[in-house]
Amino acid sequence: MATDVAVRGRGARARWRLWALLPLVLLVGAVSLYAATASSLTGLLGSSPPPADEFDIRRVEFEPGKITIRVTNPQADDLTIASVTVDDAIVPFRLDGPGTLGRLRSSAILVDYDWVEDEPITVGVTSSTGIETAREIPAAFETPAASPRSFLGYGIIGFLVGIVPVALGLLWLPSLRRARPEWLAAFMALTGGLLAFLGLEALSEALSLQAALPGPLGGAGLVLLGVAISYLALTIISTRLGAAEVERGGLVSGVALATLVATGIGLHNLGEGLAIGSSFALGELALGTFLIVGFMVHNVTEGLGIAAPAAEGSGRVGPGRLVALTLIAGAPAILGAWVGGFITSDLLGVVFFAAAAGAALEIVVEVGRYVARRAPGGLTSPYVLGGFFGGIVVMYVTGIFAG
Amino acid sequence: MAKSKFSRRRLLAGAVPLVAAGPLAKLAFAEGSQPEQLPSHAGRGHAALGHASMVGAEVPAPGGPNDLDRLLEPPAALSHQPGRVREYKLVAYDREIEIAKGVYFPAWTYNGTVPGPVIRATEDDLLRVEFVNGSTHPHTIHFHGIHPANMDGVFEVVVPGASFTYEFPARPYGMHLYHCHSTPLKKHIHKGLYGAFIIDPPKPRNPAQELVLVMNGFDTDGDGGNNFYTVNGLAFYYAKYPIVVKRSQTVRIYLANLTEFDLINSFHLHGEFFRYYPTGSSDQFEYTDTVMLCQGERGIVEIDFHNTGLFMFHAHQSEFTELGWMGFFSVVD
Repeated sequence: MATDVAVRGRGARARWRLWALLPLVLLVGAVSLYAATASSLTGLLGSSPPPADEFDIRRVEFEPGKITIRVTNPQADDLTIASVTVDDAIVPFRLDGPGTLGRLRSSAILVDYDWVEDEPITVGVTSSTGIETAREIPAAFETPAASPRSFLGYGIIGFLVGIVPVALGLLWLPSLRRARPEWLAAFMALTGGLLAFLGLEALSEALSLQAALPGPLGGAGLVLLGVAISYLALTIISTRLGAAEVERGGLVSGVALATLVATGIGLHNLGEGLAIGSSFALGELALGTFLIVGFMVHNVTEGLGIAAPAAEGSGRVGPGRLVALTLIAGAPAILGAWVGGFITSDLLGVVFFAAAAGAALEIVVEVGRYVARRAPGGLTSPYVLGGFFGGIVVMYVTGIFAG
Repeated sequence: MAKSKFSRRRLLAGAVPLVAAGPLAKLAFAEGSQPEQLPSHAGRGHAALGHASMVGAEVPAPGGPNDLDRLLEPPAALSHQPGRVREYKLVAYDREIEIAKGVYFPAWTYNGTVPGPVIRATEDDLLRVEFVNGSTHPHTIHFHGIHPANMDGVFEVVVPGASFTYEFPARPYGMHLYHCHSTPLKKHIHKGLYGAFIIDPPKPRNPAQELVLVMNGFDTDGDGGNNFYTVNGLAFYYAKYPIVVKRSQTVRIYLANLTEFDLINSFHLHGEFFRYYPTGSSDQFEYTDTVMLCQGERGIVEIDFHNTGLFMFHAHQSEFTELGWMGFFSVVD
């Protein structure tokens, strides 16, 4: 009897599983039906508007006597490269790739051109329908080729703006260890404010970058995707870390929380490295001494943010662990600088900054939970409130000075 | 990516790290001030750069060798016979035409080309132009010259499918033009409804190799500015196929400016001077190598070449030149 029920239960389950497939099968049917009759439907509504026919100019590279323009077709309809202009003058060109681009297909346009160093230059690509997509380069200069030297150069930039300041900030750890609990809570809250600022900044950056992307590739949803993925990924990590510390109420704390903070900061530095690398490669950023120094000094706060939760932990934090934290938070800047310097993709920039935003916001939540439960006086203690606002204000004020 | 993203990412006040950052800042200075990527010069020495790459078969121009002959070479002038009837038929229809290499423009045309066909008569001929509107918009033909008010192409709008016959004595002699005068005027002109209209004087002009050059532009992206400039409708066409002329013979160019959006256009000849007769309506001329024409302005250019070889002609607005309005005379013995 029991066996019978089980068998019947299995049979019924199988049937319901099949039933679950039914909507998919019907959807395929409906889509095919629509595809077969779509033209008559649009006939009812009137003709559809023409495609935008704009190219996505991904990258413009300069070599002596030569300009290379890399374009992608971002739209569903085919797009043909018909005419190329440099500074509003039609120029002969060669193609490395197809002349008519299918959806998301790319080509490189090669132009022999005696460009003028350090002067602005505008390249335009015109489709067979006469629509021109132009891209202005603020200053033309020879694009660094992917050589061991430039690889090293971008690596050093990433090292200077990522690893060095984080390592310096972590030197606050011994002082923080000796701080009173209220003050430690204040610094934890400062970390929260700092990350809230970085998260919002990254989110705004991701949103403005996606707005500049060609329509089909962009979209605020893309940002949400990046934010959600990193937020959820960090939630899973923090849950795992928290589970290992059940005796402390499942809260992530100490070195574990510091690791989490380092991960979030690392994601942010990945985006930052990407932005620096690509801006430099595209001639949009004068890589001045002041800028690098500014980044270094500014990013020291990130080290402080990691040091605060680490200081709170009970166990001793060994040098190996400190090095690991530094690498987690700082090394992504090197990776980002390489990617930005040699690949350059605004699409990648959107994803990186969105991921950074999601991570930062998750860690703000995590730090908030921690402070709420563990800090003397909880979330409303003047130390915590002051620390949080202090974190934001410090970021804002230094931003004004740097601006 | 914008520079602004870096504005808030700098400089946190903090005594201990600042001290520690000092020596490292030096390192940053050394790295930042001597990027190995900066070239000392932008590179030169390419053989196919500049104008050398813009003559002959390599030029990115649409069309085949003789495609523009009908627009370049006007019908022959006829002798003075007052009252003789000269008949033309113009059909307006919409047509996508290739105006620059690989670039297609949804034009409104008279008889399928932009500019439309050359209309020629001798002074005191009775001109009879049958106009059929095979297009999707109302059009007219507005001729420059002297004619009755009801033949002016302003009030007698011809709707799609309808036709109208313009009839008036051709006068005064000179280089004129015709174009659609439906509203919106800018749209109807820049889409391509215009052409050259020559009235010969009673006393025939001296024999010459006669050419028609209609300067125009094309706004392919609809932003109210031209993307391409041409003479006779095809960008860089006469750079790819230079106009062959004889040194021993006068070259007479009927020149008109039908460029929309830009206030003026110009004609400049290299290595030579020419006689320019404004509107071609008198014997008064200027001896020059550059003339400037307002929208709708036109005249006659007469060149007696002193030398053989390739001589460039183009708009002296460099922008127009580099967007298609450039060509060559190949002067031979």
